[in-house]
Order: sequence, then C-alpha cells, then structure tokens
Amino acid sequence: MKQNTLLRTLVLLTVLGLALSMAPQADSLPNGIIGQSEKGCTCHGAIPDSGVTPSIEGLPATFNASTTYTLTISFTGGPSGQSGDPHNLGGFNLAVSSGILEAVDDTVKIDADQATHNGIDDDLDGNGIQDAIEAGGAAIVSGNDYTSWLVNWTSPSSGSSTFTLAVNSVNGDGQASADDAWNLMAITVAGPSTGAAAEELQSADPFVVLVTLIIVSAFLLATVILYTFYRVSPDGFNWESFAPWIIEWLTSTDHKKVGTLYFLAGFFFLGVGGIMALLIRIQLAVPGNDFLTQDQYNAFFTMHGTTMIFLAAMPLINGLANWLIPLQIGAHDLALPRINAMSFWLQPFAAILIFTGVFSGQAADVGWTGYAPYIVSETAHTGTTLWVAGQIMLVASSTLTGINFLATICGMRAPGMGWMQMPLFTWSIFIANLMLFLSIPAWGVGLIQVYLDRTIGTAFYHVASGGDPLLWSHLFWYFGHPEVYVVIVPAFGVISEVLATSARRSVFGYRSMVYAMAGIGVVAFIVYGHHMFTSGMSPTLRFVTMLTTMLVAVPTGIKIFNWLKTMHKGSLVYRTHTLWALGFLVTFTLGGISGMFFPSLAMDTHLHETYFVVAHFHYVFVGGTVFGVFSAVYYWFPKMSGRMMDEKWGLLHFLTGFISFNGIFWPMHKLGVLGMARRHHTWFITTDDYANIPAEMASWNLFITACAFLFFFSNFILVGNIIKTIVSGKKAPADPWGGWSFEWMCSSPPPTPSFDPHNPPVLRDANEHIASEPSRLAKWFEGLMMAEEDDSEVSH
Amino acid sequence: MSADYGHDNHDHHASPWGPHDWSHGAPHNSFAPLIMSAGFAMFLYGFAHVFIGGDVADLGALSGVMLGLIIITMGLLVWWRQDMSADGVYEPKATGAPFRNIDIRKVSMWIFLMSEMMVFTSLFSTYIRYRLGIQNCGDVFLSGEWVEGTSVVCFEPAAHLIASSWFHLAPGAVNTFALIISSFTIVLALKTAKMSDKKYADKYEIDMESVQKHRSRKVAMFLGSTLFLATLFLTLKMIEWFIGFPTPGPLTDLNHGHSEIASLYTEGYTIHANSYQHYAYDTSYHDGHEIPHDSALYSMMQAGTHPGGVMMADIRVGASTFFVTTGTHGVHVLAGMIGLSYMTFKGLRGGYGPSNAVSIEYFGLYWHFVDLVWVLVFPFFYLF
Repeated sequence: MKQNTLLRTLVLLTVLGLALSMAPQADSLPNGIIGQSEKGCTCHGAIPDSGVTPSIEGLPATFNASTTYTLTISFTGGPSGQSGDPHNLGGFNLAVSSGILEAVDDTVKIDADQATHNGIDDDLDGNGIQDAIEAGGAAIVSGNDYTSWLVNWTSPSSGSSTFTLAVNSVNGDGQASADDAWNLMAITVAGPSTGAAAEELQSADPFVVLVTLIIVSAFLLATVILYTFYRVSPDGFNWESFAPWIIEWLTSTDHKKVGTLYFLAGFFFLGVGGIMALLIRIQLAVPGNDFLTQDQYNAFFTMHGTTMIFLAAMPLINGLANWLIPLQIGAHDLALPRINAMSFWLQPFAAILIFTGVFSGQAADVGWTGYAPYIVSETAHTGTTLWVAGQIMLVASSTLTGINFLATICGMRAPGMGWMQMPLFTWSIFIANLMLFLSIPAWGVGLIQVYLDRTIGTAFYHVASGGDPLLWSHLFWYFGHPEVYVVIVPAFGVISEVLATSARRSVFGYRSMVYAMAGIGVVAFIVYGHHMFTSGMSPTLRFVTMLTTMLVAVPTGIKIFNWLKTMHKGSLVYRTHTLWALGFLVTFTLGGISGMFFPSLAMDTHLHETYFVVAHFHYVFVGGTVFGVFSAVYYWFPKMSGRMMDEKWGLLHFLTGFISFNGIFWPMHKLGVLGMARRHHTWFITTDDYANIPAEMASWNLFITACAFLFFFSNFILVGNIIKTIVSGKKAPADPWGGWSFEWMCSSPPPTPSFDPHNPPVLRDANEHIASEPSRLAKWFEGLMMAEEDDSEVSH
Repeated sequence: MSADYGHDNHDHHASPWGPHDWSHGAPHNSFAPLIMSAGFAMFLYGFAHVFIGGDVADLGALSGVMLGLIIITMGLLVWWRQDMSADGVYEPKATGAPFRNIDIRKVSMWIFLMSEMMVFTSLFSTYIRYRLGIQNCGDVFLSGEWVEGTSVVCFEPAAHLIASSWFHLAPGAVNTFALIISSFTIVLALKTAKMSDKKYADKYEIDMESVQKHRSRKVAMFLGSTLFLATLFLTLKMIEWFIGFPTPGPLTDLNHGHSEIASLYTEGYTIHANSYQHYAYDTSYHDGHEIPHDSALYSMMQAGTHPGGVMMADIRVGASTFFVTTGTHGVHVLAGMIGLSYMTFKGLRGGYGPSNAVSIEYFGLYWHFVDLVWVLVFPFFYLF
C-alpha cells in the first residue's frame, strides 16, 4: 500500500516535471536560418535574422502552364534606414528552379536567370543628390531604395517550381554595417496536373476528414457492439440469435439498458466532438494558418459546441441518471419507461439531422448560441435549418426526460425515504431536471420561430420587418444559462457521493448541500443577462444581473467548502474515482474563480469574446462536468457491469488527462488577457499599437495544440479500460467501495426489475444523512396533497 | 457486458409490437419510440426541403413530409396497440411525499402541463415584446409619417381586422364556445365511465348485464362529441385563416354588401405581407369615416403638407406572432384530436370502466389546459 502510494507520487511528479519542462521549450522555438551562404545582396552584412520576414505575393496555389504571373517581393523587419532617408533600404535575390523571370521596371534586373534589385549608386560625390540630376538629367531609379519589388514570372509547361528568395534589410547608410540583416525563404508551387504523371496531392477538405473520421468511429462502434454480442453468446454468432439480441436493445424500456444506450451515444459523440476540437486546434496551432477556411472554421466550432453540450454531456448525464436514479431511490424502474425510451431515441435521430449539414459541407455556422439575425439570414449555411430541426427534437427529448425524472423522484422513493434522506446525486438530478424542464420550453419556442423563419418565411427575427435579435438572445439565454448548470449540477452530485464514500464518512453538511444546489437552481433563472452585457441590453437589467451573478459564488462556495470538510476528518482512499473527484475540485474551483471576473461589467466588457471566456467555460465544462462523469464512470462501472476496472490504467488516464487538460486551457487565460479573440478562424502576430499581439502567443498556441492531442488520446485509455474490464475484469462484489445508498444493496449488475415492485426496499438509514423527521412545512404540504386510499367515486 | 442482466425475470416476453398484457406491468419492449423518433426526423427533414426562406423550393419533398407523418402514425399505432388493453390493473401510485397514493400518471401529467405553461409563456413574451415594442399601424397612419408607395414597418394586431366586423369574429367566437363545451363533454365522459356498475344501472334503470354495453356507447358518445367539437374548432380556424365563408343573402347587406366572409389570407393578412393595404389605412375611405381631428395626419392634410392616399405596411412580425401563437394552440388541439380518436375507438369497444376511467381524467387535464390557453389567446389575439 505504502509502496503503491510512493510509486504513484513518483509517476505524478515525473509527468508533472515533463510537462513543466516542455512549456518553456515550446516558448522559445527558434526559426532562424542556419548554413545559408546566398545573401541576395553581396555588399551587406552576414547576419541571418528571423526578424526580417521575406514574402512573395501573387503566386497561385498551383500554376497554369506558360502563364505570366506578376509577383510582389517584399520584406518586413530589420533596420529601417537612417531617419527619414529612403535611400539604400534593402535588396533581394530571387532564384527559381524553372520558368522565366522578367523585370517589370527599372528597380529590378535579371542576372544569370536570377532576379535581383537594380542597385545603382549614382551619387559618387556623396552629396545626397544623384549625379544625373546634378548633370541636369532625369533621376535614375535605384532598386535598393525600396523594400518591395515587382517581377514577372512566366511559368513552365509542367512540373513544379521552387522559388528561393533572399532579402537584405540595411540601415540606409550605404555601407555594410553590423546591424544590417538578411533572411531567406523557399516556396514550392505545384504545376498543372496534366495526366497521371503530373498529378500532385491535393490538400484535404477538412469536412471530408471529419466525415471520414465519423464514419470510421461509427464503424469501430459497430465492431465493438458486434464483439460484445460475440462475447455474450460465442456459440450463437449468427443472425438468428443476433436479431432478437439487437431488437431487445432497440426496443428495451428498461432503465438500465436505456442508460447504457445513452452512454454509448454520449461517448461516441464525445469522440466526434473531440475530433472537431482537434481540427480546430490544428487550425489555430500557427499564426495565419489556412488548414480551415473561415467558413469551415465557423461550421466546426458551431458543431463542436453543439455536439459537446447536447450530444455528449447531456446523454452522459442522462445515462448516469437512468442507471442510478431508480437504484438510488429504491424504485423498480422510472415512472414512464416507454417515454424514457422515447427520450433516448429522439437523440440519435436529432443527431443525424444536426450532422446532415456536415455531410454536404454546409454545416450550421451560427455558433452553438445561434445568434439572430444571422441564424435566419440567407447567408448562413443551409445546414442551419436542419441543425435547428435537430435541436427541436432534442428539446422534445429533454422535456420528456424532465417529466420522467421529476415524476420518478417525486413519486417513487422507497418508503421512509423523505426528501432529506435522498442521496445527493438524486437531489442533483432532481434540481438539474427541474431547471432544464422550466427553461427549455423558452428555447424550444425560439427554435420553432427560427425554423419557421427559415422555412415558411415568418418574420420573427427579420430585422427589416421589425424583428428583434435581442429577443432571441433572451429566449436562448433564459434557457442557456440554466443549461450550463444542468450539466454541472449532476457532477456536484457525483462528487458528493464519491468523496463521501472515499473519505469513508457521510458528506459534511448534507442539508446545506441540498439548499446550496436548490439555491443554484433558483439563481440560475435570474442571472442569464450576464451573457448579454455587451449586446445593448437595458442598463438596469445589466446591473441587476451583475449582482445576481455574483450571488452564484455563494452556494457554489458552500459546496466546495463542504467537500473539503468532508475530506478533512475523513480518511481518504485514493481510488481512480477519488482522483478524478479531487481533480474536479481543483479545476472546477479554478473555473469558478475565473468565472467571477465576468459578472463585473467592466471586466466583462474587456474580456468578452476572448480566449479567457473559452478557458473559463472549458474549465467548468470539461474540468467540472466531464471530470465528474469520469469519476462517476470509475465509481459506478463495477455496479453497472459487475466487473472491477483496472486501477493502474485508471491512474494513467487520470494523470495524462488531468495534466494535458490543464495544458490546454490554462494558457488560454493568458491568451485571452493578451487579446486573442475567440470565434476567429486565425490569428496573426502583430506589433500594431492597438492590437498588440506578442510573439509568445505562437509558442503557447502550439503548446495548446500539442496538449489537445494528448488529452484526446489519453481518453482512449478509458475506452481501452472499459473494453478490457468487460472482457477480463475481476468480478465485482455488490458494494466494492463501501457506499451506503440503495444501489449498493442490490447485486452487481443489478437484476431486472431493479427492485421488487411489490416489495420495495425500506430506508433503514441507508445513507445516514440526518434523522428522518419531516419538517412541519412538509407535513402540512403532504396533508394538503394526500389522496384517499380507497377508490371512491368522483360524482359526489 | 449484458450477459448477466440482459433479460427480465418475467416468464412472459411480450412482443414489442403489442398487444400487451398489463397484468404483468408496463411493457418492457416497444418499437414505438424508435419508429416515432424516425418519423419526426423525417418530417422535419422533408419540411425543411419543401419550404426555404418563405418560398416553395421543392414540392417533391412533400413526399418526405408525408412519409414522416405516415411513420409517426405507424409508431402511434404500435403505442396504442400496447395501450389498448390497459384496463387499470396496472396503475402505479406514488409512494413518496408529497404525492403519496396519487397515480404516477397524474403526477406526470401535471408536471407536463408545467412545461406547456412555459411554452405559451414564451409565445406571449414574444407577442408582448413586439406588440409594445413596435409602433402600432393605426398610430403610424394617424401620425402621418408615411408616404403612399413606400412600406412602413409597424405592428398590425390581427384583432384590428378581426374585431372590426362581427363576421370576421364569428369563427373565433364559435370556437371559444366549442372548446368550452368540449371541456364539459370530456367531464361527462369521465363521470359516465367512473360510475360504479350498480349506480349506473340504478340511474338509467337498466339491468346489470346491459350496463357495460350501455356505458361503452355513452362514453364513446361523449368522447366522440369532444372529438367533433375539436374538429369543428380546427375547421373554423381553416375557414378563418384560408378559406373564407359565403354569407347567405339576407346577411350580405349586414356584411357591407360582401357576399362572403373574407379569410385573413384574402384580406392580405399573411406572414409575407410586406406591403399590406387595408381600407382603414386609406385616406379616401376616411372621407366617409372621419379621420380624428386631433390627429397629426388630419392637421397635415388640412395644411396641405400631406397628400393622403393609401398607407402600405410591413406587418410580417405582427402576422407571424398571430399565426404562430394561435397555430401552436391549434397544434395542441390537433394532438388532442389524435388522442381523442384513439380514446373514442377504445371507448366504443368497451375499453373504459370504473377501474381505468382515470385515463379520461388525465387526458381531460390536458384538454382543460388547451381550453384555458384559448381563453387567454382569444382576448389577446382576437379582441384586443
């Protein structure tokens, strides 16, 4: 045990050290030139300098045969010439492997098939006035008085051409001196594709990449399903036994099966959303990248947000809720099992609609917020209509889920289990569903309005007819803000369960935990204005929502301190789920603190639309919800599958995942403060006074991209672990961790129905929260609602 | 993974297509969710291809819409096939405070109505935002800030058109009573179904053997009346929106000499009306009906600074709120009709008795809610 801890600490420190040592290296990546002897202008200094940036404009991506292109050669950086003196600023030399170079004007000359500046020193007496002018003639143009030149290039009939350009930046004194510097670039342009021999590789369309990856992932998923079936019945691997098995899954209304389906869908789309995140990160890795076009980038970040929130996080939470709510409250199933199956099956079909645009290359490009009036404009991608249609189906799904869970938790708790004896995870799902249920209709109505605007041509958001884009923002954020709590509050519930079990004591301050969550549920509805601070909303509302938003920190802080206090007098057992819960505490608290910058109107005005916002919501969304889900998976997987997961793989997953996650999003705070704008398809290093974006951004962005890849692939450890566990995991006991709530009282995996509906379990202080005396208010309310036992007639 | 818990412990393994034996509890398998979800997706997909940006883009895609509707109907039929045998043997009750001993279905229905409330709240929010935020067309007309030939953006409440004549108001007024009466008939259906056999026999002075037959006929009659009234509601709505109605001879004089009640569509009150004209916004019409003397338009015309003429208005936003809000209500009526047609059919086959009459009650909750919404929609969109 002790050795194990030591080993873990060592591994943790090693990985941490590696990560730390990588950060400064990424910061100082050199891109100067080594071993180049061609200097372009032979009369100046011998110092290659990365500060001098050569460029050639006017080159096509692929050239046509025997066509003349006019190229602009220029450079930036280096010494800028003596004060106010335009003489002798620089020079260049351009060599090309094929084709013919021609000078356009006198500033350029052709020398041995290479183009160079036409340097004429016509001031032999050194008085600053050209001799030709002194002799009464016209001025002679000197090519080294410029920093940009024009050259005509006539392309060859086939093949590709490589341009080698060297430029010189000099200080204008006409003498070779120490601060003169030069640099060089090479660029290859592909020729016309004439027949198979001349064919060049085209750059991939990222949409094709995405579609391919989705199809490959779906194929892998199908393979896993088939393999699972094979494991279930190795002898009957044929259609006769496969058909009833798959039909059972397609038609089941059992909460555990539907929960498993939710998990499958959730993890699949977590992967798809992750692939999109990687494509986005490739695009942002270096300045001025052209991997994605603006159009594609807009579509990718829209689909990434939509997928992650609605098709990954929500199904994963629903998967947990489906599995655990009936088990935790001692019910045999959910209140409305068929409705439950309906809420699940709406999701994959909604996903197909949402992704329809991806397959045609016209995916929705309106952001996950779908701001009006762009969402109803004709310039928005055509995929937007079906994106909206898919969201309408998701709204229907969430409404049905809400009815189901609210009815289940209100009505199907085991005898003796009052509201204040419910496990905290059940409480969290109850509050999350209540929030979702009361807010999502507003967005549903907004979506229907937009769908009708885009199809039959109603005019809700057509500005020309008087439509109000802010109305959409109100309807959206009235739902959108509770929605972000809907995805985080269940994670609170998970962490409460996991930490209490791991600390081997009951959770500290159960009642305050419940009231804190309920408080978040109430506050959620009155803070949404902080998403619209810069939208021109009423100043009074801005002020009010500023105050209410700051209020959110109070219940959240209570929860954090309760968790800390739970661990304080407990004796913590470090299982994988504990590690993820501790990781959650760190990252979620950091995300919460960065969130507290936004309620302040002035700070928000400065920080909005920067990567600071991206950092914040990924810290709470990934560091909160996703870490919570990971913790829950490790915690309850033995219950669900009847097999123990591999703790070593789990530790590896946690270390790589936690560190690379912080590597992605921590630097984004810095980028945001420095002024890197979100929702932009690319960025440039500039020293402009008003948009000063320092060069260190380049290294940080590259570092973030590297970490993003690491984070993406680290999660395959979890997938591998799950498959390994299903195939060859150790059998799990009913209560492997020492939990108290009902789900640990039935076997692993639980039977169907989970509990005997005619003989439900009774709360025997199962979760030792507090004495089960209902309050006076509760008694009064129950008396009010109590129905008579007998079936008397209605007509009296 | 699923080997250990793949199958339920019950002996019977009912078909996912139905019918279902409810004495074994709720159905464990059903194709209905899968089929209906596919149908919804197909419907929304087809619809988005038929209409694009207010134009009919591809009528061929209507087949997709129809296919979607057919698939949804198939799913519904599977669902109903499983439900048809529900006789009240299986009726789980809530165990937890504060709903102890109340049917789970009843709790669920009330929770569902909570979200329905939010749906109509959002629609009314939209309406209030635009009604109060955009200048009213009547005010714009009287302010004189318009010239003939150029459209002005303003909010034209449908009520202005509808409440201008008893003939326009007639369909809405009849509809109000139709819905209120239908709320009554559904309660009569519940009362008839819920009465114990003995009491029923006493009341109608029949012998106990014929109670069931008598009762099925009566329940089906009341449910059928509700269905009929709902159908009447939607029919009148179509007349009011699109079709219009010919007025018989003697009434023509009362209707300003028009031989028909014009529909909103023929009056030009549509979601695409960006140059809406109405006689109320015509200064020459106002020669007969005086322009108020205290209005800016009157003074301007007297002073000769306004030439008068016909005001054209872009009323798309106002028309959109009207058609979508009343349309959403109409869709709720349609959903009720679909439910009612199943219930009438089930009632006719003797499906409702004292043991499961609560099904009618819980449908009635929804139906009363739809009625209540109309009671709010009618004054705000038809009268005011």
